[in-house]
Amino acid sequence: MRSVGVGLRAAHYEDFLARKRDVGWLEVHSENYFGAGGYDLHVLHRLRADYPISVHGVGLALGSAAAEARAHVAKLKRLVDSVEPELVSEHLCWGRVRGRHFNDLLPLPYTEEALALMVARVSQLQETLGRRILIENVSSYLEFRASAIPEGEFIAELARRSGCGVLLDVNNLYVNQLNHGGDALAAMSAIAPESVAEIHLAGHLVAPHCVVDTHGDRVAEPVWALYQAALERFGTVPTLIEWDTDIPPLEVLLEEAQRARALQAEACCV
Amino acid sequence: MSELGSLQQAFGAAIASLDKAVESTPLFRGSPDAALERLAVYRGNVVGACTKALAGAYPIVAKIVGESFFEGLAREYLRRFPSASGDLNEFGASLAQFVAAFAHTRDLPYLPDVARMEWLAHRAYYARDTAAPNLARLAAVTERHYGALRFALAPACALLASSWPLARIWEVHQDDFEGEFSVDFEAGPERILIYRPQFRVLVGTLSVGSYRFLERCGAGATIGAALDAALIAEPGFDLGAGLAAWLGAGVIVDAEERA
Repeated sequence: MRSVGVGLRAAHYEDFLARKRDVGWLEVHSENYFGAGGYDLHVLHRLRADYPISVHGVGLALGSAAAEARAHVAKLKRLVDSVEPELVSEHLCWGRVRGRHFNDLLPLPYTEEALALMVARVSQLQETLGRRILIENVSSYLEFRASAIPEGEFIAELARRSGCGVLLDVNNLYVNQLNHGGDALAAMSAIAPESVAEIHLAGHLVAPHCVVDTHGDRVAEPVWALYQAALERFGTVPTLIEWDTDIPPLEVLLEEAQRARALQAEACCV
Repeated sequence: MSELGSLQQAFGAAIASLDKAVESTPLFRGSPDAALERLAVYRGNVVGACTKALAGAYPIVAKIVGESFFEGLAREYLRRFPSASGDLNEFGASLAQFVAAFAHTRDLPYLPDVARMEWLAHRAYYARDTAAPNLARLAAVTERHYGALRFALAPACALLASSWPLARIWEVHQDDFEGEFSVDFEAGPERILIYRPQFRVLVGTLSVGSYRFLERCGAGATIGAALDAALIAEPGFDLGAGLAAWLGAGVIVDAEERA
């Protein structure tokens, strides 16, 4: 998969359908393509002829103690089987209690119990889909007193025990560093270099009480610096520019992608 | 319940309701005040995501009541009918039921039916695509077997009967509508067909006979039985004209001879 991709959003469908764009690959939110048919799926099938596709779930809430969401897994499997994406990913988070979904990526306490549940769920999902998946670290606004394992070690152990890859969101590491006073570099150094198979870059918002992971701005300068450190440790892994709120013209995403590509080129030739 | 389960229950309750937030603060590092402020960020995210999803499924309801009123309505709807799926396109199925009982929209008696229409249109948008009907196969059926044929309707089709002019309400609220923005609410009962010839969902009116015919076909009746029902409802029902339109617009997608 070529170096840098962008998140495909409906606002840019026409741009991509009109002509081939200079991006290495496209990532979509799985749930937007869960329909049995219709325009979104049609566009995705058109574009998969021109770009490698990554399918990125936001709704499985794998770390929820409530029973597994089987209908959701079945729809994901249908999508993955028909699109045959290069990469499939989900999040290190929870989001459901019985009968209620919060539709947000809620942080887990980093405990042995949560780790065991995530390992079981990720292993099960990989078995169902018949392939390796990637798990992404999330941003968080709260830390649990119960957490006993540092974030980086938790992710590394999940990857080691389940065999999943890591989707490293550099912006999320930075947001967490600001919100909780942790150390993003230390989190990265806990993760085995060969386990990171994708990197996410996005913008955040510095709000009065905390830093919010809005995906609504350009990538911040300190996050670019962290990205350089990530490239040094993990090599030139496929990198995604994500933008989900106040979506600008595609050209802005392409500029961000260009900057990421330049940093990749720099890192590989040092 | 497991420790993780209890923690998630408490965290979830703190996001869903301010009252539960205070008792949840010991779960979190830092001061209780800071935890409350940050729980409010999660609460805002959840409400925001659900409001956006609801407005996406119900653009006309949102236009009718206005943006800020819709935000309040969405918040109340979410409280009464929480999201149950990780796929937000499934959120909002009960909005018609909700607005029918919502005191603040009582002066908009057509709103529940508008919501019904929009939910059917939302489902139609994501429904399975269907190929053009195989007319050669239909033509090969001998005439005396016509009555025993059954038509299959496209998954992206739905029927709705209402006391309100839904098709006109739909039309004037489309982004590309350029005519005069007026709706005659005294126009009388109406039957509509929601369909999707390609990717855009359309809404058209049906005569009472057409409505009965398609309704019976959708329920699995033979053409003969559906035609009988249509003619009882509307003695002048024109089957030929209906078939030409419905085969052309991808409403009827298949025909088969079944016992």
